[in-house]
Amino acid sequence: MQTILNFIIKHNHWFLFVLFEGISFMLIVQFNNYQGATFFTSANSMAGNIFGATKNMVEYFSLGTRNQELLAHNSELMNEVVQLRSQIAELQNEAAMRGDTIVRSYSSQFKFNTANIVNNSLNKLNNFIVIDKGKSDGVEAEMGVFSSKGVVGIIYLTSEQYSLVLPLLNSKSNISCRIQGNSEFSTLQWDGKDTRYSYLVDLPKYTHFERGDTVVTSGFSSIFPAGIPVGSIESLEESLDGMFYRAKVELFVDFGELSSVFVVGNKGHNEQQILESNIPKE
Amino acid sequence: MTGTYLIRIRNIILLILVQSLIFNRIHLFGYATAAVYLIFLLKLPRYTSRNELLLWAFIMGITIDLFGSTPGINAAAATLLAFVRNPILESFIQKSNPEDLTPGIPSMRFGGYMSYATICITIFYTALYILELFTIRYPMTLLIGVASSTLLTILFILVTEKFSSK
Repeated sequence: MQTILNFIIKHNHWFLFVLFEGISFMLIVQFNNYQGATFFTSANSMAGNIFGATKNMVEYFSLGTRNQELLAHNSELMNEVVQLRSQIAELQNEAAMRGDTIVRSYSSQFKFNTANIVNNSLNKLNNFIVIDKGKSDGVEAEMGVFSSKGVVGIIYLTSEQYSLVLPLLNSKSNISCRIQGNSEFSTLQWDGKDTRYSYLVDLPKYTHFERGDTVVTSGFSSIFPAGIPVGSIESLEESLDGMFYRAKVELFVDFGELSSVFVVGNKGHNEQQILESNIPKE
Repeated sequence: MTGTYLIRIRNIILLILVQSLIFNRIHLFGYATAAVYLIFLLKLPRYTSRNELLLWAFIMGITIDLFGSTPGINAAAATLLAFVRNPILESFIQKSNPEDLTPGIPSMRFGGYMSYATICITIFYTALYILELFTIRYPMTLLIGVASSTLLTILFILVTEKFSSK
């Protein structure tokens, strides 16, 4: 007994070392598996508050550019509204002439919310973004996040005030996309290297497209509305097994420059999830 | 005694803030980041026990993780560094050196301190990148990341050493 005690006292630093490494590994593993571990991320309120305060200070220096960007986006949206209104009017006229009464309303399906970015990382293989809207603002996991330029990512975890976003620049990110003007869809994945590029990994070989074509969201995942821009095709190569094309996509969003984003929730998302979960697994 | 600990806690808070608010946002060439908060562990005096080193390292690592959304990764790597620091330090100084020697260029000469710091930082970053890449097979990314980040950190250690020696 005495020898065991002596041994433990003599080598106590080994036990401390194993204990600390054990806790660290538990955290690493837990964060990868267990979705509720918001405390040990920067989505917790203390880190969120400190990042929010520094952001408030730094923000002033870029107000001019942000303003320009918002104005540009505004005018784009105005143009679109005018165009769509005239289209609706035309269609309603047509429907009235035919005596149709079927008018589908799309406007209520998606709900938009704005948020500011309080923390952002670019240099890791699994990057995360923290935004200042959480459960109390109606943000939930698996909502889509995009900026005025294009898709940013998907909400991963939420706390009361803050949310953790899984951006395109994360090796776990999978977003269903298609090339504009094409009906084939494919998955966008990041290889962990250059923050300007991501890859469409499983494009069928019969897909026709050219360099510079725009990649947009497909709308199949029910997280994003269809047609939100993602990037443009930069180059093309065959996948390792030669069955598909692998396209390098230059992302529209500059993740280093991001400051405010939109969060989009789909009211039909839960319904679609439940339906899809009933698909029998092989 | 209490005075030294108060100063240490102040230094830790300062380093953590500087690390998470400034240095974690600097990524040279998309790879290199500098872990300046390790300076605290490197500069603790020679007599510091392994237990104490481990405790400081774990506290700092876990706080940096908390700010950077990387739970456990910095904590694990910093704990490893703290565990191997004393043997590495001993191999670069004489037995006859005073017990309260603070590692630095004045006390260890340029070559001695640089080798000590380089070995420690390389161990830290190797552990960090392996933990971060975990299931992914990119040996080149690992090598470039470890080498460039270690270099950048050493650069900042040199700068702080120059300023503090004056």
